[in-house]
Amino acid sequence: MAEFGVVTPSVKVAGGKLPTATGKPLSVVALRKTYGDVVAVDEASMEIAAGEFVTFLGASGSGKTTTLMMIAGFCEPDSGTITVGDRDVTRLAPQKRGLGFVFQQYLLFPHMTVSENVAFPLTLRGVPKDEIRRRVGETLEIAGLSGFGGRKPRELSGGQQQRVALCRALVYRPPVILMDEPLGALDKKLRDQLQIEIKAIQQELGLTVVYVTHDQEEALVLSDRIAVMRNGLIEQFDTPRELFERPRTPFVADFLGAANFLPGRVLQNTDEHTVVRLDQSGGLLTARRHELASGTSVKVAVQPGRLRACAPDDGFCTGTVETATYVGTLVRAGVRIDGGDAPLLRLEVPAGRGPVTGERVGVTVDPEDVNLFPVEQGG
Amino acid sequence: MMELRRTLTGRIALTAIATVILLFLALPIVVILVTSFSNNAFAAFPPDSWTLGWYKALFADGSKWPAALSLSAFVAALSTVFSLIIGVTAATALTRSELPLRSAVYALVLGPLLIPQIVTALGLFLLFEPASMLGSPIAIALGHTVLASPIAVLILVATLRGIDERLEDAAASMGAGRLTIARRITFPLAAPGMIAAAIFSFITSFDEFYISQFLSSVDTVTLPVQIYNSLTFDIDPSVTAISAILIAFAILALALVALVRWLGSGRQDSLLSVENTAGIAAPGGEAV
Amino acid sequence: MAATLTANAPARPRKLLASRRTRVGILYALPVVVYLLVLFVYPILSTLFLSLKNTDGSLTLHWYVDALTGINLSVLLTTVRISAETALFSLVFGFVLANAISRLKPLWAGVAMLIVVVPHFISALVRTYGWIILLGDKGLVNDTLAKLWVPGAPFQLLYNEIGVVIGTTSVMLPYTVLLLYSVMRGVDRRLLAAAASMGAGRVTIFRRVYLPLVAPGLASAGLLSFILSLGYYITPALMGGPDQTMIASLINQQVMKQNQWNGAAAEGVVLLLLTFAGLLLVKVVTSFGASRKKRSAS
Repeated sequence: MAEFGVVTPSVKVAGGKLPTATGKPLSVVALRKTYGDVVAVDEASMEIAAGEFVTFLGASGSGKTTTLMMIAGFCEPDSGTITVGDRDVTRLAPQKRGLGFVFQQYLLFPHMTVSENVAFPLTLRGVPKDEIRRRVGETLEIAGLSGFGGRKPRELSGGQQQRVALCRALVYRPPVILMDEPLGALDKKLRDQLQIEIKAIQQELGLTVVYVTHDQEEALVLSDRIAVMRNGLIEQFDTPRELFERPRTPFVADFLGAANFLPGRVLQNTDEHTVVRLDQSGGLLTARRHELASGTSVKVAVQPGRLRACAPDDGFCTGTVETATYVGTLVRAGVRIDGGDAPLLRLEVPAGRGPVTGERVGVTVDPEDVNLFPVEQGG
Repeated sequence: MMELRRTLTGRIALTAIATVILLFLALPIVVILVTSFSNNAFAAFPPDSWTLGWYKALFADGSKWPAALSLSAFVAALSTVFSLIIGVTAATALTRSELPLRSAVYALVLGPLLIPQIVTALGLFLLFEPASMLGSPIAIALGHTVLASPIAVLILVATLRGIDERLEDAAASMGAGRLTIARRITFPLAAPGMIAAAIFSFITSFDEFYISQFLSSVDTVTLPVQIYNSLTFDIDPSVTAISAILIAFAILALALVALVRWLGSGRQDSLLSVENTAGIAAPGGEAV
Repeated sequence: MAATLTANAPARPRKLLASRRTRVGILYALPVVVYLLVLFVYPILSTLFLSLKNTDGSLTLHWYVDALTGINLSVLLTTVRISAETALFSLVFGFVLANAISRLKPLWAGVAMLIVVVPHFISALVRTYGWIILLGDKGLVNDTLAKLWVPGAPFQLLYNEIGVVIGTTSVMLPYTVLLLYSVMRGVDRRLLAAAASMGAGRVTIFRRVYLPLVAPGLASAGLLSFILSLGYYITPALMGGPDQTMIASLINQQVMKQNQWNGAAAEGVVLLLLTFAGLLLVKVVTSFGASRKKRSAS
């Protein structure tokens, strides 16, 4: 057991501060992984600050889990480096990295009680018995599991098992805790509740967390920063607000904001605005200023919630309300724009004075809420 | 078969036939257990009067049984050790690594179970005779291991497959080294399978007849060979008593396996469920 | 510059990790492979060589000619006949019993399975001895038959083919029950209900739906008990007469009594080839069953 004491001496300081208060707890440079001809992760780079909650968000096959596994050491990158604190851990075995990991399938040791599971990483580090008992008790209490210490994992519900797994990963205060879709196997209600708990524990203890999920809402609730991944590439790594309001690619605008896309062409630029003529209706739409030359073909991206209904002919386009669905506080409307057979324009407007089916409406938007993406020639 | 023959007569007929077939399986065993306490060791059933004489005769002076029994036990213990070593390493290779020619290794392991034992026995005779190792308990144990180790491999492969490999990853992520993982995670979880593998290796060797017969000499006679000889040549009535002891021993060993399986499975099924009782017989069934 | 770096760097570390797992695999597979090569494959190969070797060392096939003519041929035919009889009986009894177990209440099914499994692990010698006690002139079976005034009782049930088939069938029966039980558990019972909903009668469902579904399993169970019987001789030797000599028994006699190793080796190889042919048939049958299952699923 001495080997672990040597490798991660800092964790022996019981309940101490995070071992890498000065440097970045985790940084990843130009990480790349291929399986045969398939590029799973392509040149992923990022720095994660202490106490930060970072999420890799993407569909399955986007490379988010592979990236996490490379950080954990369960799979080896083709190239690139991973640094934990000041140590280059790129080629180290998982057990020598000193990180914490929470798996989707909990993976509690079935032959140990809850307490023994949580104590396991501490016994590896030669922590004295009294100290172990105290810290296990404390940790279980934080997770609301006091009194469950003597039970076997199979006697617990899924949510409780995942709480134990969380305790087991944080009890030894690793500099970074990695979580691979930890709530994926739970039902919606429990997931919402555990998201709040995880966030609360993370903030209370100042944990640095790297989290993987495919659930946008979960990512937004938990994260300080989100890396949106697609086809092995990090599309954008930003705060939730930036991702939402200033998406850098159409994919991000669509994935997070479920944006409407309208084809158009830049007409002119003023000091503060860029004016676009929409291909379909011929209407003019004013966006905040983008650095795009006149004549550039663009995709206009606007989120449904940022569109407003107005009198016909007052907005950038006019159309007929074809669907209007009441969903609690909102009405989701689909507007058929005049002059073309493009998909319905989706609006989300406050319920109460929402449009009704068959009504003629204009559609308007604040220039600040419009994002323009140049369309590549021929694309 | 939910819609078939649900009639009362059909069910009675089915139960009756099943009972007769079960009797067919159980009677030869029951009759030995009963006859071993009978005054007349041959025929005559049920017995007229009872005795413990045959059991006493087993251990009388000049009896061949104690020597055969202890030789068989020694040989079985030895091949259990060999089989466990081979089984643990092979199962690790087959479930926890990237093994080139994996299916060839599997075929090699299944070979001794599929090929007639008499052929294996003949081959071993041809190997050990020139080395003048006939009659050596070591040679017999080595021979038995050819049959017992595949069983151990199959049981342990099934056992290791049943242990989520990611539990070992989880332990590694917390900082556990390879040895610690083996000692504190894999071994405790694999213990029921290892006990089963040991018991089945022991039974396989203990009951093995063909190899023993080819490799034994006048001085080294294993128990099954001694039983066979006493049934063909010198009619020794105490063979009923030794048979009864073997039956008791087998039932005890199976009960132990069933108990270990049941405890290891987290007592999910009842101890007497079909899954549990059938599972005793095919401990490596999932692996094939 | 960066491009060449990334082009050269990737291959090395990945290969290292893969080869480490491969090295571990080879290292751990070594004991079983070496053991079985030395004590299983090599002896069988030397049996093969011996069966082709003349006393002066030259190659010959005359041991095979011996093995396949005269008395040896009739022993071979007896072996095949007794194995076929055993396979047939253990298949029929096994089918009925497995079918009954799959329909019994859980507790009774468990107990019945126990009665199947326990004998499986009791030495065949001991079980054969049990039959010798049971089937003797004054044994339980003849005794009961005589008490029931069955004409002709007592019957000669030992030291003839009846005795041998009873004995070997009881030895093989646990195998077939276990195999068929797992086959029957694999049958999707909703198919039977579906057939019934379309108006099929019981006999029709059994013949047209159930039997085709379990047929590959039945065939491989029958073949396996046939193969296992081929190389078996404890029961035939103890319960049969001279007409029930099995090939395994002959091999044993040639080595132990006549010191005729080459002939024994040739007979061993013949037995081995018969076994391989049987195993090949099992493989054909199972892959046929698997492909049919796949087709019915798609």
